[in-house]
Amino acid sequence: MLKKTLPIIIGCLIGMYALVEFYVPHYHAKELMKEILDYAAILGAAAFVLGAINVFQVSWPKIRRREEDWQYKVVMLVAASAMLLAGVSWEALRGKDDAPVVQKTASATSALVIDTEPGVEVTVNGRALSPDYLKELGGDAQALTRGEAVTLAVPAGEYALGFSRRAIGYSAPSSTVVLAAGERAAVRAVPSMQWGKDGRVKTWLYDYVFAPCNSTMFALLAFFVVSAAFRAFRARNTEAALLLGSAIFILVGMAPFGRLISDSLPDIANWIIEIPSNSGRRAIMMGAAIGGIATGLRIILGLERSHLGEG
Amino acid sequence: MANASPDWTTRLAAFDRRWLFLIMGFAIVLPLLRPCGIPVVPTPMVRAAYSQVEALKENDVVFLSLDLDPASTPELEPFYKAVMLHLKRKNVKIVIATTWYSAPPLVESWIRSGLETQLIPEGDKSYKGAKDRVYKKNVDYVYLGFREGKTATIANMGADLRKTFDGRANDGTLLDNIPFMSGIKALKDFKLSILISAGSPGAKEYVQYVQARYGLKMIASCTAVLLTDLAPYYQSGQLLGVVGGLVSAAEYEVLVGRNGSAIKGADVLNFGHMVVVLAIILGNIIYFVGRRARRASGRAVPQPKGAA
Repeated sequence: MLKKTLPIIIGCLIGMYALVEFYVPHYHAKELMKEILDYAAILGAAAFVLGAINVFQVSWPKIRRREEDWQYKVVMLVAASAMLLAGVSWEALRGKDDAPVVQKTASATSALVIDTEPGVEVTVNGRALSPDYLKELGGDAQALTRGEAVTLAVPAGEYALGFSRRAIGYSAPSSTVVLAAGERAAVRAVPSMQWGKDGRVKTWLYDYVFAPCNSTMFALLAFFVVSAAFRAFRARNTEAALLLGSAIFILVGMAPFGRLISDSLPDIANWIIEIPSNSGRRAIMMGAAIGGIATGLRIILGLERSHLGEG
Repeated sequence: MANASPDWTTRLAAFDRRWLFLIMGFAIVLPLLRPCGIPVVPTPMVRAAYSQVEALKENDVVFLSLDLDPASTPELEPFYKAVMLHLKRKNVKIVIATTWYSAPPLVESWIRSGLETQLIPEGDKSYKGAKDRVYKKNVDYVYLGFREGKTATIANMGADLRKTFDGRANDGTLLDNIPFMSGIKALKDFKLSILISAGSPGAKEYVQYVQARYGLKMIASCTAVLLTDLAPYYQSGQLLGVVGGLVSAAEYEVLVGRNGSAIKGADVLNFGHMVVVLAIILGNIIYFVGRRARRASGRAVPQPKGAA
């Protein structure tokens, strides 16, 4: 009952509601549909977790038995685990805090002492502490680049300080220091490397491993296409000849050099896309839509049960 | 005897395909090093997309969905930069989201390079349009981030955009605290939706799940292989403009008046397409000459394997 009938009843009710809701303009009907869509999104996200578990379940026995291409599965599991670990925000788990440390002491004249590491960009009241601005505030223009603390002879007041690095994946500590007359405030802060979804490691892996691999796979298509064009695109019969002719017109007409050969070529290419190709595609889309409706209705009515593990 | 030594067509048909790869490599690299600048003329579909953006007024809010991954960057980034320049110089507010789990770091980098940076450096004499400026986060644009759920997320955004993203931008800022978001509750509240798609879910799913239902104004940019998928929606008026592939992006750049990477890339396409066409023609000549020779000599004609 719980394994088969209950999912069918839930599927039937939700499916029927999703259909009927289109025709019910009442506010509550829309609100309930929003909730259902929320659940759908949550289920979609949960499927990722199940997918990850499934990948391990399928790959691990194959690695253990040293089946064909087991080495690739090791690479895949290691890569997946590395991304997973890089995506965890470890500093949040440890409760690490790199907020600026401010120490105030009495002094003859009020001053701000900024202490950080080389390569860290500092802003004072939203303005970057450039050599010119440092000079304006009475500080040593080169001190920050040398990694030395810089003293700014500033009047009493409120100062918003920000510390950041150019590279992505570092924290950006900030603090507002209220400086009283005759007070010297020493502020030390160092942006630390972050983990988690916006962290340095994940960003680096994405930029320098995932993105190039992903682009390479796509770029290889150009070479496979030319190889296939030479070896397999043969006008063996009328249908293949028509397909080839269309392909050549599209290839030539859609590239800018087509217009150099003849002004008509781009028009022919557009005509092929807009009339015969669109007609064919529309027929396929309508067929698929009708098929989708039929399958959807079968699932809603409980006639189609393959998704529940039944043949 | 005849079977022992294959004729020249058989030998040519079976030659090492790495030569083809080398020729294709040259066809890609040489135009990048030495652009020949074949003129690009905008087509009606691209003009239609351009005029939709052109019709926007200052402070209108548009929705931008970036559904892509790094593989599609060369084809889609040029349009993104061209349309960002177009939107920025019209002073339009932008709301950005993605439905692809592999997209967020890429989208964030595109935001930094396209919105938070001037696309046209000061003093660029090749550019003749209105002045470009830097957009500020949560003032001129907001990045909502990614939500898993694919088509369910798209349907959700159509019903209630704020609820889909828990009422917050990706950096945690409450959408209620962003002035230009005050009138925005769902996708129908945007003046225009711009969909930059590399596959599914993407522009097609936006049309299927929300466009018809809420009567949204949408334009799309897609990879060249997706153009035939989206063309029927342009014909039916559900997409008001389609920019398909690198050549169309180059056409958009021409309309915007910015010589970007698509115009440079158009040369690569010219040569790449030429190599493919020549490969098809050469392959067929070899096939037909060989077939005739084999028929004349009474040998069996080889049966096709994986014929097109």
